[in-house]
Amino acid sequence: MSTLIIKNLHAEVDEKEILKGVNLEIKGGETHAIMGPNGTGKSTLASVIMGHPKYTVTKGEVLLDGENVLEMEVDERARAGLFLGMQHPAEVPGVTNSDFIKTAMNARLEEGKNISLFKFIKEYDKAVQELKMNEDLPHRYLNEGFSGGEKKRNEILQMKMLKPKVAILDEIDSGLDVDALKIVGENVTKMKNDDLGLLLITHYQRLLEYINADFIHVMMKGKIVKSGNVDLMKRIDTEGYDWIKEELGIDDERVIVEEDEERVMLGTCATKEALDL
Amino acid sequence: MKFHKQKLLSDALPQSIESFFTDEFTNYIIVKDGHIIAKQLEASFSSLVVSSLEGELDNPLYKDYKELLQYEDDAYTYNMNETTSGLLIHVPRNQVFSDTLHVFYVQEQPEMVNNTLIVLDENSEFRYFEYITNMSDGHFNFVSNCVVQENARIEYTALSKLTEKVAASLIRNSYVSRYGSSTHNIAEVNDSLTDSKTNIYLNEPYAAGTAKTVAITNHEQEARFRQLIQHNAPDTEGYIENYGVANNQSVLVFEGVGSIKKNMKRSVARQSNKGIVLGAKSRLDANPLLLIDEFDVVASHGAAIGKMDDEQLYYLMSRGITLKNAERLIISGFLSPVLKKLSSEELKEDFVLTVEHKTL
Repeated sequence: MSTLIIKNLHAEVDEKEILKGVNLEIKGGETHAIMGPNGTGKSTLASVIMGHPKYTVTKGEVLLDGENVLEMEVDERARAGLFLGMQHPAEVPGVTNSDFIKTAMNARLEEGKNISLFKFIKEYDKAVQELKMNEDLPHRYLNEGFSGGEKKRNEILQMKMLKPKVAILDEIDSGLDVDALKIVGENVTKMKNDDLGLLLITHYQRLLEYINADFIHVMMKGKIVKSGNVDLMKRIDTEGYDWIKEELGIDDERVIVEEDEERVMLGTCATKEALDL
Repeated sequence: MKFHKQKLLSDALPQSIESFFTDEFTNYIIVKDGHIIAKQLEASFSSLVVSSLEGELDNPLYKDYKELLQYEDDAYTYNMNETTSGLLIHVPRNQVFSDTLHVFYVQEQPEMVNNTLIVLDENSEFRYFEYITNMSDGHFNFVSNCVVQENARIEYTALSKLTEKVAASLIRNSYVSRYGSSTHNIAEVNDSLTDSKTNIYLNEPYAAGTAKTVAITNHEQEARFRQLIQHNAPDTEGYIENYGVANNQSVLVFEGVGSIKKNMKRSVARQSNKGIVLGAKSRLDANPLLLIDEFDVVASHGAAIGKMDDEQLYYLMSRGITLKNAERLIISGFLSPVLKKLSSEELKEDFVLTVEHKTL
């Protein structure tokens, strides 16, 4: 049974502090859910635990079974048993889903050893069926041209194949329609066991109808401000977050203020765009 | 017979390519310094006419086209006058070959001046693959001309792997008639100083041409790749796609030109350039050009050159893949437009290993 301990975690991006002292302990077999409005640092927490290069940890600890996760490279964290189902998984053209996942599975074996191809295909096909994805998935390029829902299901598929000790699912419900949400929920629930610690990050309680959470946490201003059980979720569902803000005397719960970035699409002439022609 | 063939080959070939000639590998011709040293074609190719240029310099077909296919370029002119090697391939009318013909060009003498002529008669279809390699240092001057007659179709795939001490000029021309199509997939993984040109002339209405180039440079290498698609008739379509990786201190230049002459209405000229700059001191230039003298056309060009994508690396690594393997996956994926055109596992492996070696 694994334990992930997050102690007083502070992290910043571009010298702006986003996480301001997060404390959380996830044991194998437990399911935690972090809820909270937009821009309160939920996704940042997930990215910092996984080691996204954009963020700098300034204070605090993250321990997986006593080992300091923050000193590990991203790939080492994954091999140690962490998994992050991402909100916006990258697209990698030219790399097929099956090559990708095979490489990831082989990375967990001793050098020179490879997973049996037969076993791999069998397991992969089974996962594809269980997630009701198209059979051509193994031959398609990694996330390229995938719909939002397909990307999310592909994340769950990877989780199934890699069998992590602690899995964080970052807004796995966004962009999913009701049917897809049900499939994802059922599959995640099926994976639950005494060894798997699960952390769900979500805006809505909708996901928690399909995946039962033992602990509910509310994040605001870069910290967990309130924890409870399923009753807390029910109250948020009916009353929203305002009562918590009032209780704690929080005016603005956000740490990230969204700025609209001007983007130039590939295929348009950037010079022309810049000169406003 | 098999034993004899294998032995003969292993004496004459560089070790690096011996592994391709497995028992399953078929439909190939090996040309070494102008001589065909091995030829194995299945029955499906029985109507294809292939001969070494040695005895064919006076062949009327060759002579006629030599007159016709004028191209202003010093290396080309030199090639025409000093030819030492070459093939003449004639695809007869209405013949559709679905298998690929593999031609291996091997150079051992100090200078190789190769001239290959491929003529596709009306309504024919042909898949051609060429592998270019050298055993000794020297000059390598390679020209191929494809003549694609009405409604004929050629898929031309090239993989050239020349060593560091060679100076190489590679010119591949294609002349396309009405409803004809010419697709050139060029993979240049040379270590040599390289000047490579792919020119597709769309000479009659509804002709189409695609020039895809994949190139990797490393160490102190300098290489320039030019693609020209010239629209000499209305209603023609041309696509240029370039994929490059520049490593170490190397310099890689893409110059893609889509040229639409006046009155060549309703033509389409598109171009995209993608590049990964791997080396801290390497340079990758893409100079896409559209020369358009007509209003009623569709044209676009774009270039995206940069370092390897951090988000892609992070994503792959977040699944436990090491940085090195993640880079390897991204690069081989990036180069897949040509990789997937290679017809045997041995050739694919050769390409992937070369890529890995050059991107270390």
